[in-house]
Amino acid sequence: MSALRVERRRVAHFDWVLTGIVVVLVTLGILNLVSAAASGVEGGANIVGRQLSVLGLAAFVIVVVVAIDYRHFDRYAYGIYGAAVGLLLLTLAIAEETRGARAWLFSGRLQPSEFSKIGMVIGLAHYFGRNPPSQIRRLRELFVPGLIVAVPVGLIVLQKDLGVAVLTLLVGLTLLPLVNVPARAWAGIGVLGLGAAAALWQFGLKAYQKERILGFIDPSRDPLSSGYQQMQSKIAVGSGGLLGTGWQEGTQTQLRFLPTQHTDFAFSVLAEEWGFVGSTLVLSVYALMLVWGLLIARNSKDTFGAMLAIGLVGTLMWPAVINVAMVLGLAPVIGVPLPLFSYGGSALLSSALSIGLLLNISMRRYVF
Amino acid sequence: MSDLLGHGRLSNSGDGPGDIRLWPLVFVVLAIFTLFIGRLFQLQILEGEYLASRSKTNYVRTVQLDAPRGMIVDRDGRAIAASRPAYHVDVMPNEIQQPWRTYSVLGAILGRDPTEISDKVGRPKGRRRFQAVSLSKDLTFEQRAMVAEHRYALPGIEFYGKPLREYVYGELASHLLGTIGEIDPAELAREDLADYRSGETIGKTGIEASYEVHLRGRSGGANRIVDVAGREIEELDRIEPTPGGRVVLAMDLDLQQAAEAAFLTDDPAQPRRMGAIVALDPNNGDVLAMVSSPTYDANAFAGSISREIWRALNADEWHPMRNRAVAGVYPPGSTYKAFVAAAGLAEKVITPANTAHCNGYYRLGRRTYRCWKKGGHGTVDLQRALAGSCDVYFYELGRKLGVERLARYAKLFGLGSPTGIAVRGEAGGLVPTPEWKRRVRREAWVEGETISLSIGQGANLVTPVQLAVAYATIANGGTVVEPRVVLRKETWDGELVEELPPVIRGRNVVDPAVLEVVKKGLMSVVMDPGGTGRRAQVPGINVAGKSGTTQVVSLDVVKDLAPANIPIRYRDHALFAAFAPVESPEIVVVAIVEHAGGGGGALAAPMTQKVMARYFSKKEGRVPSQVAFLVDREGLGMELGQGAVR
Repeated sequence: MSALRVERRRVAHFDWVLTGIVVVLVTLGILNLVSAAASGVEGGANIVGRQLSVLGLAAFVIVVVVAIDYRHFDRYAYGIYGAAVGLLLLTLAIAEETRGARAWLFSGRLQPSEFSKIGMVIGLAHYFGRNPPSQIRRLRELFVPGLIVAVPVGLIVLQKDLGVAVLTLLVGLTLLPLVNVPARAWAGIGVLGLGAAAALWQFGLKAYQKERILGFIDPSRDPLSSGYQQMQSKIAVGSGGLLGTGWQEGTQTQLRFLPTQHTDFAFSVLAEEWGFVGSTLVLSVYALMLVWGLLIARNSKDTFGAMLAIGLVGTLMWPAVINVAMVLGLAPVIGVPLPLFSYGGSALLSSALSIGLLLNISMRRYVF
Repeated sequence: MSDLLGHGRLSNSGDGPGDIRLWPLVFVVLAIFTLFIGRLFQLQILEGEYLASRSKTNYVRTVQLDAPRGMIVDRDGRAIAASRPAYHVDVMPNEIQQPWRTYSVLGAILGRDPTEISDKVGRPKGRRRFQAVSLSKDLTFEQRAMVAEHRYALPGIEFYGKPLREYVYGELASHLLGTIGEIDPAELAREDLADYRSGETIGKTGIEASYEVHLRGRSGGANRIVDVAGREIEELDRIEPTPGGRVVLAMDLDLQQAAEAAFLTDDPAQPRRMGAIVALDPNNGDVLAMVSSPTYDANAFAGSISREIWRALNADEWHPMRNRAVAGVYPPGSTYKAFVAAAGLAEKVITPANTAHCNGYYRLGRRTYRCWKKGGHGTVDLQRALAGSCDVYFYELGRKLGVERLARYAKLFGLGSPTGIAVRGEAGGLVPTPEWKRRVRREAWVEGETISLSIGQGANLVTPVQLAVAYATIANGGTVVEPRVVLRKETWDGELVEELPPVIRGRNVVDPAVLEVVKKGLMSVVMDPGGTGRRAQVPGINVAGKSGTTQVVSLDVVKDLAPANIPIRYRDHALFAAFAPVESPEIVVVAIVEHAGGGGGALAAPMTQKVMARYFSKKEGRVPSQVAFLVDREGLGMELGQGAVR
């Protein structure tokens, strides 16, 4: 197993910046979770302990992923992709319906769609590694990557998990701006996208999901369910002011006016208790992490590595963007956690995979 | 690190992955996060103050703490109207999350059909979603415990305690105590009620209305921190409510109960007689008992009265809501003879020794006036005329006195104008005079009317309380007292606020020597073997009194009918006015039975007897008084939070 051997010079090039960023975010996430849990939210003090044990597992995952030379993932790309799709199919077949979706295995503890994103990114990177996007000039050349994205997205739609489906689609589209197709083709893509959105609206969405989107467009439609959640989130963020109410001092959090404050609305807790200064700082750290990921892509020694890094940045960026937009009242309420920050096992492990792979690519930038 | 950033450009070229245009992605990331920070600035800095205030209204709930209404107690301090903790359940339609589950659980607890609850709450739209729907008032102890247990599992359920008026003895003295109810728009518009808010409770009639200011108390308030489920976390500040003050009635609960019971009969067709009883202390006007029948349970008004009960009470042809003791007007009938006798003696028209001969009728001009006794009373002096209630004696005396003097004396005894009793809605009665007849009926007085008047018939009208005051004036030797309903006002914990002294409206209105003679005659009515009021006797006590029977319609209407077939509303009224002990009167009792279908001596006298018997047996300690009903401080110190003021 030479693949698992990490040579001394790889360690010398280990990416301490990305590691530092991740440690900062995860630490703040745990502090924030302690505060959210102190309010006596469902699960109580337990959730901090559970998150810490998942964190240990995540660290182990990162170590393992870093040890495997990422080029092995190129070699087995379609196998990994196939396994991800297979897992989605299996979920669809055997999962019991939980909260209206059939997206969880092991009685709600594992969400395969969180991991299929990464399988999809590896599949895309493999394709674009052999067909560099800068050389793609015709729309038909996008058929295969389109398929690579459409299959998992379609399966997640069938699982009735809207949030993750949209996310997976966005992750898949992250690589799209890199291709060199002419303006007419972009128009074609736009039309296709609109058609897909319309189809999704008609067939893919449940009534409450449509209601949420309409509620976002017109908040007076339904001030008390999703609009209510968003209002409470905005109140929490706003009452943070410049410096925040202080850790564990936010009334919106501690009196549980915030919905799902340990998962989807974790950033509201932060904004309330740490104020404009704290939340701006955290957002800057996120932006730094994403830009750093793109720099890893640029410095990669091969196209596969670059494509993989961009896709992985997508798996971290889109949940973060959607989550923060939702918390700040800029996007409808979609159940997407903030990566590395929110409570939740599958999401944290999936983020760990992305981080591990990014570290992997960064570490091996001088290999050739 | 410098290796990573060393290229200084974002497009890659050459050896590695070929030409990758990364700048659009970097731009997108930076643009999005700049937008986010701008949004944070907007929410936290620009709108921060406003949103922080929104957060405060989120978690600070201002609740009103209702003051328990003051107690009304009898002269011995026994609670008649009290306040007790009551618990209510409302539904906030906008907060209901799983309607069917919530309604099922509530239905099981409250013993109601979930469908019915669902229908009652409905699916209100717009602002009405935020208005509480009152679901159940005054829960039982078990319901209370179960709702309290489930309240946090049932979002949208408002569960709160609020003091509720309780009339300890239900129907007892309900007319005197009066009713309470929600303040109405007309009252809200009044300047003296400016500090009342819509939805508040206010006294509507009786003592509840007359002593509203004292009974009301002052509500307090509290600011509490609540969580999203409305669960109270902590109290920020609190102003305790001040319970309403106590009103001590002159009423004696034992006598009141005896007087209420006096209306009950063994006749299943008419289990309760209609009419009124007033018992006074002739020395100071204390209203020892006051009953109006038919009656109602004032507790029905304490919460919010149901439409059905209200409609039934108003539609009842016998007007159970009317306080007959002060608002019912009746011809005094033969009870009036005592005043005619006093007038005759005082005006020296007669002496006690003067006699008249009664052979059953009296002629004036071409008209004949009958005595109630067909064969006549024979030759009677004043004492025997009163004892046998001889009409002829008084026809003659009345004619000699004339209408003006009759009216003057009637007014001296307090008839013809309100007594001043502190109960709203008192009627003034009527003492007819030629001047009154000219003014109202535009007719001249005829002497025959004076004849009718002298036996208490004709246009003469008195209220039971007036008659009681007039007999008290005879009993106490010429002092007109104002009936005193309330002895004193106290704070809720028993400190004296204000004593209400007896009010004397006239002294020596008639020569006491004259009244002594009248008293002797009235004592014969009860104590003599031939007296019409023998049924008013109380063993061991000298009782004086006078019966009265008044026709409601002309005799012609009912002459062909057997007594049992006469419609109730055509039957005679029966009256009896009594006082005792004659030597030193302590109690006056007037009983009036509407449409009794019998004479005052037969039907009304036993009722005054029951009240007096109770009075003297209690005084002599032969019948134990009721155990005092105490409501202690703890009883009032309940959790009195009301629904949130949102």
